[in-house]
Amino acid sequence: MHEMGLAAEAYRIAREAADACSGGPLESVTIVVGELSAVEPDLLAFAWEAVVADGPDANARLVVDWRAARQVCAVCGEVPDRAAGSWMRLCPGCREPLAVTGGNELDVRNVVFAGATLETGGDG
Amino acid sequence: MSEIDVRQKVLAANALAAESLRSAFLLSRTLVVNMISSPGSGKTTLLETTARALRDRLRLGALDGDIATDRDAARLQRAGIPARQILTGGACHLDARQVEKALAEEGRRLSGLDILFIENVGNLICPTSYDLGEDFKVVLLSVVEGDDKPFKYPAIFARAAVTVITKADLLPHVEFDLDSVRQQVATLNPSGRFLVTSTPTGQGLSAWFALLEEERTRKQANLRAVCAR
Repeated sequence: MHEMGLAAEAYRIAREAADACSGGPLESVTIVVGELSAVEPDLLAFAWEAVVADGPDANARLVVDWRAARQVCAVCGEVPDRAAGSWMRLCPGCREPLAVTGGNELDVRNVVFAGATLETGGDG
Repeated sequence: MSEIDVRQKVLAANALAAESLRSAFLLSRTLVVNMISSPGSGKTTLLETTARALRDRLRLGALDGDIATDRDAARLQRAGIPARQILTGGACHLDARQVEKALAEEGRRLSGLDILFIENVGNLICPTSYDLGEDFKVVLLSVVEGDDKPFKYPAIFARAAVTVITKADLLPHVEFDLDSVRQQVATLNPSGRFLVTSTPTGQGLSAWFALLEEERTRKQANLRAVCAR
């Protein structure tokens, strides 16, 4: 259950980003999670609720932007019709071995927060 | 309401610590191997055997991650190499800061090694995410665990540079389709190495030792390349 530590780290990053803009409470935080990042989105969402509970950002929503890994055939190109969580050894078209690419993402991508009081300047 | 695009890795803090470790390991010419598997796959047993075989030629050491007990570090010390237990107190993986702290506390005992083995907490999932500054990850899979594991736990098999099948002496007694496992690993990780081993019979061990020596030689060449720049 390493999702707890990851949720805490994601919260720290999001809060720091909002603080840098003198922002108020977080509304939502978008995290990109790749299929091969060894992270379970439901567990991450569950951990997120525990991390933000009882704090100033208790209403912050976690949005998981899930990215599947891709399977690519050297001959036919990408094989699009893989069922989620399943892996094909051979290309259904030409029976060549497939390679797996991508799916390693684990990034905080976007933070939405209330009440930015960032001074825009302009009169100086 | 305001919005900011962040694009920051969730594990950026761990990655920073890992890069600092990696840089120190480059200068000390220490090959670092992060060993990952389920509990009971034979990480410690393979390391005991490795320690006994290579300790006279190479300076070896180990960090052992576990939730409780210092049994693994004690076993490796009995096998003749310095080893330090890292107790995670419930956490399912090691992170780079725990490795930094343990190495700092050990001082000279675990410095200047030719090869440092980091035996991760027994778990096929969580340790996958955490870079420990290692040169490469090794995933172990014992034949009694079943032959569907690479596709069921694709992340670690995709990322480990080496897959070591252990307890191969038990193959006659279990249903384990070695060819299927080999193909699953090749699908996830076409450039990965695949070794089939048994510590009681010695099967595959010379290939494992050769791989370690080869990688250690490569690491030393890396430093020479850096210094020559």
